Amino acid sequence: MVYITSLCTSKRHQPITSFWILVIILLLSACGGSSVEVTKTPAPAPQDNTPVTYSGPVAATPDVTQFKLELWDNISSPQRCGACHVQDNQSPEFARNDDINLAYNAASQLVNFSTPEDSTLVTKVAAGHNCWLSSDAACGEILATWIGNWGATENTANDIQLEAPIAKDPGANKNFPDNSLLFEDNVYPLLQTYCANCHTGSATIPISPYFASSDIDESYAVSKARISLDTPENSRFVERIRDEFHNCWSDCASNANDLINGIQDMADAIELTELDEQLINSKALTLFDGTLASGGGRFENNVIAKWEFKTGSGTTAFDTSGVEPAIDLTLNGDASWIGGWGIQLSNGKAQGSTTNSKKLHNLITATGEFSIEAWVVPANVSQEGPARIISYSGGANTRNFTLGQTLYNYDFLLRTDKTNVNGQPALSTADAAEVLQASLQHVVVNYDSVNGRQIFVNGRFTGDTDPTEVGNFADWNDTYAFVLGNEVSGDIPWAGSIRMVAIHNRTLSAEQVAQNFDVGIGQKFFLLFEVSEITETPQSYIVIEVSQFDSYSYLFSEPFFYTLDDSISIPDIPLQGMRIGINGREANVGQVFQNINTLLTQSDYVPAKGQLLSSLGTIIPIEKGATSDEFFLTFEVLAEQTNVMVEADPPAPAATIDLAAQAEIGIRNFAEINASMSAVTRVPMDNSSVKASFEQLKQQLPSFTNMDSFLASNQMAVTQLAIKYCDQLVETTNLRDSYFSDFNFNQSAETAFTAQGRNAVLLPLTSNILNSDLSDQPNNTDVINELDNLVTRLTDCSGDKVCDATYTKTVVKAVCAAALGSAVITLQ
Amino acid sequence: MKHLVRQIGRYKIPLNWTLFILAISTLPLTYAGPREQAKRMHDRLTGIPPSIQVLDEMENLIAEGKVSEAADIAMQNPAFYSVTLKNWITPWTNEEADVFAPLNDYTATIIGMVRDDIDFRQILSGDILYVANSNAGIPPYSMTSNAHYQALEEQSADLQDILQRTTQSEETGLPAQATAGVMTTRAAAKSFFKDGTNRAMFRFTLINHLCTDLEGLKDTSRSPDRIRQDVSRSPGGDSRIFNNSCVGCHAGMDPLAQAFAYYNYEYNVESDPQGEQGALQYNNQGQVDPDTGSQVQAKYHINGNNFPYGFFTNNDDWSNYWRQGLNKNLGWDTALPGNGSGAKSMGQELANSQQFANCQVTKVFRNVCLRSPQDAADRSKITTITNTFTNTGYNIKQVFADAADYCKGE
Repeated sequence: MVYITSLCTSKRHQPITSFWILVIILLLSACGGSSVEVTKTPAPAPQDNTPVTYSGPVAATPDVTQFKLELWDNISSPQRCGACHVQDNQSPEFARNDDINLAYNAASQLVNFSTPEDSTLVTKVAAGHNCWLSSDAACGEILATWIGNWGATENTANDIQLEAPIAKDPGANKNFPDNSLLFEDNVYPLLQTYCANCHTGSATIPISPYFASSDIDESYAVSKARISLDTPENSRFVERIRDEFHNCWSDCASNANDLINGIQDMADAIELTELDEQLINSKALTLFDGTLASGGGRFENNVIAKWEFKTGSGTTAFDTSGVEPAIDLTLNGDASWIGGWGIQLSNGKAQGSTTNSKKLHNLITATGEFSIEAWVVPANVSQEGPARIISYSGGANTRNFTLGQTLYNYDFLLRTDKTNVNGQPALSTADAAEVLQASLQHVVVNYDSVNGRQIFVNGRFTGDTDPTEVGNFADWNDTYAFVLGNEVSGDIPWAGSIRMVAIHNRTLSAEQVAQNFDVGIGQKFFLLFEVSEITETPQSYIVIEVSQFDSYSYLFSEPFFYTLDDSISIPDIPLQGMRIGINGREANVGQVFQNINTLLTQSDYVPAKGQLLSSLGTIIPIEKGATSDEFFLTFEVLAEQTNVMVEADPPAPAATIDLAAQAEIGIRNFAEINASMSAVTRVPMDNSSVKASFEQLKQQLPSFTNMDSFLASNQMAVTQLAIKYCDQLVETTNLRDSYFSDFNFNQSAETAFTAQGRNAVLLPLTSNILNSDLSDQPNNTDVINELDNLVTRLTDCSGDKVCDATYTKTVVKAVCAAALGSAVITLQ
Repeated sequence: MKHLVRQIGRYKIPLNWTLFILAISTLPLTYAGPREQAKRMHDRLTGIPPSIQVLDEMENLIAEGKVSEAADIAMQNPAFYSVTLKNWITPWTNEEADVFAPLNDYTATIIGMVRDDIDFRQILSGDILYVANSNAGIPPYSMTSNAHYQALEEQSADLQDILQRTTQSEETGLPAQATAGVMTTRAAAKSFFKDGTNRAMFRFTLINHLCTDLEGLKDTSRSPDRIRQDVSRSPGGDSRIFNNSCVGCHAGMDPLAQAFAYYNYEYNVESDPQGEQGALQYNNQGQVDPDTGSQVQAKYHINGNNFPYGFFTNNDDWSNYWRQGLNKNLGWDTALPGNGSGAKSMGQELANSQQFANCQVTKVFRNVCLRSPQDAADRSKITTITNTFTNTGYNIKQVFADAADYCKGE
């Protein structure tokens, strides 16, 4: 059999000689029998697809015409199904080229228009039967698209037929023991040794959770959520060190291994236990036990290229639009696949060939309008360039179009006869709007000759109008390449994830954008959690839409109550406190439904839709992988059963650790110094001269009272302010006369500073500034002596020094400033 | 002045430092008698040295064991209000914790409340405002300007004397039930309701009045059912960040910050990007925001498509999820229900927690003792002062007096 199939295929490659013609004729007759079993072709067939020119009878009906245009034209070539499934050859003859109506009859038996992906044609190819690409799944996708296009002129959402899964109970698992001994012996020593500088309540800057607390009970309580007993390597403690390099104490990999070993030792000492009997739980199922919610409902009538990244491995992202030639993208550089369909790029790209990329040029210039649609996750809001998300370009400065990112903005560069070869000026979203966020976003950019460029984010028009006059695509270059995540030259990368890209050669209307946004992204399943035994209502389920949100989480959303038995009447069923369980225990984060408190009733139950329990959704971390993780639900109250959870009190905070001894005295701050100087000199703070100096100096004066932060520059400011206060004290007559009432400022410096004159200056100063009889302040006499020495030095009028009455004031100011600017004022 | 500096410059700094060192070397070696204690209490409470007369008076009271009365005398000095309290409060009024920020209604209101011995819990819920009396000769209080308070500062006005009590509802037209102490003052609105999503008001109230940032309260075990739609569940494409970090704060914060759903700070972003002429805006009952179709401000619905399955705010009902779990240790008042509507009742929820009282006392301790509580004796004293504070009508002046007594030296 293998021989026969091989020959059927090999006739594409070999020169046909008369001998071989004879052999082939003999053997082809064998190909036609329905009893012939077809087996997988050993190697993928080449990708060239020479079209077949049809010259048989005309199509009998419009649907036959539709069949020919959408499916037959794509599969009838000798490089695809036309190699065998033609007249007088391999049955079924859905690719026959003698009579399109007969081909239509054959093909009709092999397709399922309601779910094209379930068509026999699709499942056969997707299972490995003569796929013409390197990915069987991609061939299946493309075939499903062609069949969908044949079956409907407009995509509409399909009704999902929910199917009952096989009932099974949640599995056993390891649970944390009540006492902390195992934790204390195996894991806690690492945490306390290496994490206690921050993760304790008594740290200088305490960072919750306090799993390194000196109190073992406090530590154990918060550590449970960060330890996975079933898969120690998935513990949050491990991930934080191994994957996020968070404060490793030596080598991150070996530190993570130490933690894994500790957790493994702890886990090894714990027996598997069945699910807690107290729990009221539903039946369990995995993601793929759910009913597939197909991606119907997207508007794709004019799609000319589409990448959904479903392959998940290899280096090729297939264009599954079904429009030839496919622009398959080659991944290189720092580009990888992510869970739940998508690629992640940090400094890599996914680029198509220039030959195939020409499809975009041909099909877009033909309509003069187009739309780029994408689901993207920018890794950050700090990249610019614009960083190239999607580009059809020739290099850093030449392009037909580009969707890029600059910080919080999307940029749309487009070459027309009104813009330059680099597509500039660009249309960018408004800075203040910050529409670009580092989260999953649906982005659509439109261009047509009426509205120019438009940007839609998450289903909504951003409101940014194109300032550039509309133009045409006459200047487009057909030698450019289509690329994702970078410039074709590889020097302007974009960091982030791309979950889907579609190019339409008509613009999407606002309604169509919203429609495609509402459909969402990724493979979704309806998980039917059976609760029949608890509710005593036949075939009753809590149904939740579940999908893989990203590489690390599942999205659970919009749970509803549903029964597959349409005939029954639903009694009043109370439902409270619903939680999601995963692999035998309730998830320790994301319990968004735990506060539900509702009543299931017949009156609220909508036939075929059920009763919605919540419009919320949540993300639950992936543990073992999408194929293995098993989910179930628990309830605090469901029907007659009750298991109300009473949360235990948290452990008391650990005792605070003593700080190093601190100084009992400190520095006065800027305002205190100012007020103090004012108080002891009696110069008011709103004295204009003083006020101006204070405003100028206040930020140079001490801001804090801590002694350790006192700097020489602070002292400089203190001195300057002291001089200003003393200046005003001496220069303002009434202040001066009141303060130094016994001193004669009209005398020269040579005569003014007699012993009596000195007392008249120094005594008021020291009594006002020092206060009296304070044992913790400098002795008044000591200070007076120091200041007296200063007066002596300053009033040495020998030589040509001018010691007039003006200088007398100067000396008083100097003595005043020396006392006022001292620690007597600055210390408290 | 230049002349003076030129002539004496070579003596100036050495002499200052001589006296400085003289003072420091003297301090630790001496025994602090009543007079030294009086001096330190006055220094710490008012920021300035006492007059000799006041020092004598305080010394005598301390010698008689009447320390609290001595503190009262110090606190009668205007500097207690214009210097100590003003600089204690000002950093709470802006995100940068800038002590140089101008005097404003937030600061003035707390100063007035301290002066009038008003229950300090009212700072987060009262319909209360302090403005200058009509004799001040300054621009009147305005919803759209801080000129009133800046003029007071320009004049170095005696805040103890000039401030008079009024209500926000009377001065601003804010409905009485929408007032929430300093959180609904113009200065707080300008700092924390401007732009953003109003979470800043919650966060900075935590920092300033419960002495903890969100980092200290992270609890990932709370239900995320009130986390708004604008919070990405997969920041940068990595949902682990949400489940391990974001949820820890947002799960508790978002249901509490919902209390601010009707508030905004309105300003002209084009002509006044700093919002100097902006005003607090509150969607009153029956007032429908065009963007939300309800009383809820548009900022509560921005970026709603970041996670459409997130919580959709349609009123100002708040809930305190931190009454359970790790943050139960904050000591919530069991006499309160733990949920409600609007900022006033949410402010009461915060202000009636043990953490609030403890925080206020700790802040006063730091301000008066010039250091953090460092050992068992300090912590025990904090507890004692806190108990007095909570059992005697939350009089913050008493806390200042008690702290000054404790740190007056021996």
